[in-house]
Amino acid sequence: MSQLRLPIPEVTIRTIRVALAGNPNSGKTSIFNSLTGAHQHVGNYPGVTVEKRWGGFTAKGTDFNVQDLPGTYSLTSFSPEERIAQNELLDGGHDVVVVVVDSMSLKRSLVLLAQVMQTGANPVLCLNMSDEAERTGLRLDLGQMRKLLGIPIVQTVGHRGIGVDRLVDAVHAAADSPVRRPRLVLGERMEKAIGAIRGHMEPMHGAAGGRDWVATKLMMGEEEFVQRMQGVEGDWGGAAIEEAQRQRKWIESSTGQDVALFVTERYFGFVDGLLREVVREVPRKDARAVSDAVDKILVHRALGLPIFAALMYLIFWVTFTLGAIPMDWIDAGFGWLGEAITGFWPEGSESPLESLLVDGVIGGVGGVIIFLPNILLLFIGLALLEDTGYMARAAFLMDRIMHRFGLHGKSFVPMMTGFGCSIPGIMATRTLENERDRLTTMLVLPLMSCGARLPIWMLLIPAFFAPVWRAPVLWLIYAFGIALALVLALVLRRSVLKGEDAPFVMELPPYRVPTARAVLMKMGERSWLYLRKAGTIILGISILMWAATAYPSRAEYDVDAQIASGAITLSDEEIENARTAEDLRFSIAGRVGRTIEPLIAPLGFDWKMGTAMIGAFAAKEVFVAQMGIVYAMGETDEESQGLRETLARDYSPLTGVSLMLFLLISSPCMATLAVTRREAGSWRWAWLQFGGLTAVAYLISLVVYQVGSLLI
Amino acid sequence: MTQQVEQRNLTSALEDYLETIYQLLQEQPIARVRDIAKARDVKAGSVSPALKRLADMGLVKYLRREYVTLTPEGEEQARRVYSRHRVLTRFFESILKMPSEEAERDACAMEHCLSDEGMDRLVRLIEFLGACTSCAPDFLDRFHRCPLMNDDAPPCPDECDSMWGSTISDSGGPMSIFDLTPGDHARVSQVNARGAIRQRLLDMGILPQAKVELERVAPAGEPVWIKLDGTQLALRRQEAEAVLVDMPT
Repeated sequence: MSQLRLPIPEVTIRTIRVALAGNPNSGKTSIFNSLTGAHQHVGNYPGVTVEKRWGGFTAKGTDFNVQDLPGTYSLTSFSPEERIAQNELLDGGHDVVVVVVDSMSLKRSLVLLAQVMQTGANPVLCLNMSDEAERTGLRLDLGQMRKLLGIPIVQTVGHRGIGVDRLVDAVHAAADSPVRRPRLVLGERMEKAIGAIRGHMEPMHGAAGGRDWVATKLMMGEEEFVQRMQGVEGDWGGAAIEEAQRQRKWIESSTGQDVALFVTERYFGFVDGLLREVVREVPRKDARAVSDAVDKILVHRALGLPIFAALMYLIFWVTFTLGAIPMDWIDAGFGWLGEAITGFWPEGSESPLESLLVDGVIGGVGGVIIFLPNILLLFIGLALLEDTGYMARAAFLMDRIMHRFGLHGKSFVPMMTGFGCSIPGIMATRTLENERDRLTTMLVLPLMSCGARLPIWMLLIPAFFAPVWRAPVLWLIYAFGIALALVLALVLRRSVLKGEDAPFVMELPPYRVPTARAVLMKMGERSWLYLRKAGTIILGISILMWAATAYPSRAEYDVDAQIASGAITLSDEEIENARTAEDLRFSIAGRVGRTIEPLIAPLGFDWKMGTAMIGAFAAKEVFVAQMGIVYAMGETDEESQGLRETLARDYSPLTGVSLMLFLLISSPCMATLAVTRREAGSWRWAWLQFGGLTAVAYLISLVVYQVGSLLI
Repeated sequence: MTQQVEQRNLTSALEDYLETIYQLLQEQPIARVRDIAKARDVKAGSVSPALKRLADMGLVKYLRREYVTLTPEGEEQARRVYSRHRVLTRFFESILKMPSEEAERDACAMEHCLSDEGMDRLVRLIEFLGACTSCAPDFLDRFHRCPLMNDDAPPCPDECDSMWGSTISDSGGPMSIFDLTPGDHARVSQVNARGAIRQRLLDMGILPQAKVELERVAPAGEPVWIKLDGTQLALRRQEAEAVLVDMPT
């Protein structure tokens, strides 16, 4: 009897891990977008501000996991981006590393390829923007290039998705059969030195190529690698370090160059040699001709700044004028939703659940979502600035002023954005590559008086100031915020964020026409981060804040007792308002407000303001509504004459000034803190922002109120 | 030209012989050709012609065959050479902290080619560095601890670097990228920064011999905007001053 054999289907689930490496502006992200489409994630590397992007796709029955490494010019340990890129390449366990280079600046970008090859990775070279290069007349002998480098090479046009299929094929093939390519040889002296150091590194695990990299880095004396070697078992690590020092001395004395220059020249020499062999025709046309002509106007010594100011104005105008239209719809939508929910409960039978849904959830989250149109428009504007290449020019124009305060030219745009809302401003600091620059900008950014604080000024200024003074006072508040932000930036750079400036060697990429796809993806991604925040942490805190203002509530009201005893007569509405005011006074927020009264009394504040400030932590504009409630005014907004008159009656203008300063400077709203935590990578920075700004606010208000009281 | 070089080589060789004889005479009354050859690590046969030339110049006197001493004139010459050698050796060894063997070798190479004037001034500097404790008590000590000298030292505070930059550009010395005016073309001669800044400049292709053009300057005077290998870069004053350039004449 013949044996029955069932064919067992061979299901191999295979995942190829791919890393994308490349210079900033090499079009690496457009390749990443073309590969992964919508299936991507953005986050931060743990504890740092460096953006981490990863995603996946399936092709040819294989899963591809793609990681977009931070854009770097080389792999050293001087900046967090470079350190992360380097460590990912050495320890990330990627099957294939795609090195994306800009075909228009091959010389500089192929240096990175040489370094990646030295790490022992399995590289695929992606010559991006090949259409632009071809248009200038550059002709490369790709066959020769493949032969000389011994690695697969693919030409692509990332932002149009051209050549991406071939790139996937090449990656797939490279993962299947890693080519045994020859070691990268960087000249006789270098070979000798590396050889001597490698001699001590036989026990090291991993690819043989990686040893070249470690040996080179040891010779250059990079701390990180010295530590790696000190950490190995056995004494060969120490021997390798010593040998590397010997080789360094030998190279420096025999060439008269320091080792950093020597090694870098070897990389450039390698690229020069390669290009001599593979460039068949050099570009006939100056690829930068158009870009240069545009720059003659846009960064003109006299016209540059006015043009920049006009562009910024245009973006904000569009954001707030055009954004106001859908904002009204959203507002109406949430209003309707609130009423619909209220409608479930018959008149007079209000339940805590209704209050939670309407006042807590809808009020809190709605308050965040209402800014979404602004955010979408602003992010389109910022994406356009970035993708056209103008952002680098803006940084060039603004750097001198910003740098004087320890900031970077690129800090300017996020700070301007902060006038709209701190949250997109903080997210816009992603355009800053350097960690210290980015953190400094982020931490002082809430001092830019945001849109949510405008209702507060609109309420308070007319209450305390005569009409002629109103406009100058408003102007002063904004100006004071800016000045304090700059001063605090300087303080931060001299204290917590102390350290040498990152090297300012900023590339000015040629102007490019941005693709709608890239701009929309960037906008979508950042807006989604904003919304997700609204859906999670902000919802949580909103509920907490709601509970703090709603509980515990009173069972019996003083006002009812007074009416019953015939002491006063009030209309229904007045009774309702008085009850609400009593509830708030009795609630946790009210109690906290009263508890902290002694603390804020030296600033000229009473418990009512304290309670309202706790509300302002949820969202700055809530201050106005809370003041309305504690004064039993019912529904109030910044136009409420009644509330203004009450304030003018109860408080002096000095208290008004002290209050405005405190609200301008003190703790940013919870959403800002949540975004700071997310963008900075740890709660430490969010707490510093919260505590630091509140302390500064307290100090300034204290001095203003106390000194003012003496003078008046 | 060739003759001059030969002349000088010859002289330096002869100076070395004078020095050797002088050293030998410190320990013994006369110098034997054998000892001279041994001290100089050459064959005895090659010593004689040199001694003969020195004798012809009236610097060396033969007492007997194979035994020589210095004439008063020769002794003075020898003392001059020897003291130069001592000073230079001390300079390399105790001020620049080189191993004594290497210090000795460099001193030998250098002692012949300095002019009297140059040597004299160098000696004064060395005396000052070593002796003048009243002007700057820990001057030398600080130099040895400075990262310029000591690879293991922690990096200097910022003021140090900026001082470097300003002395270079103010003294009318070498030109940096920052000194160029828009439209100027130049060639990089040196990258005068350390650490991260240096590495970044090098990584961007700002290497010796690279051609740069200053295209424009920001409204506030910095950063500057340069073109290099078809790419455009903005550098702050600090970075631009670190890159020394030569202008084509």
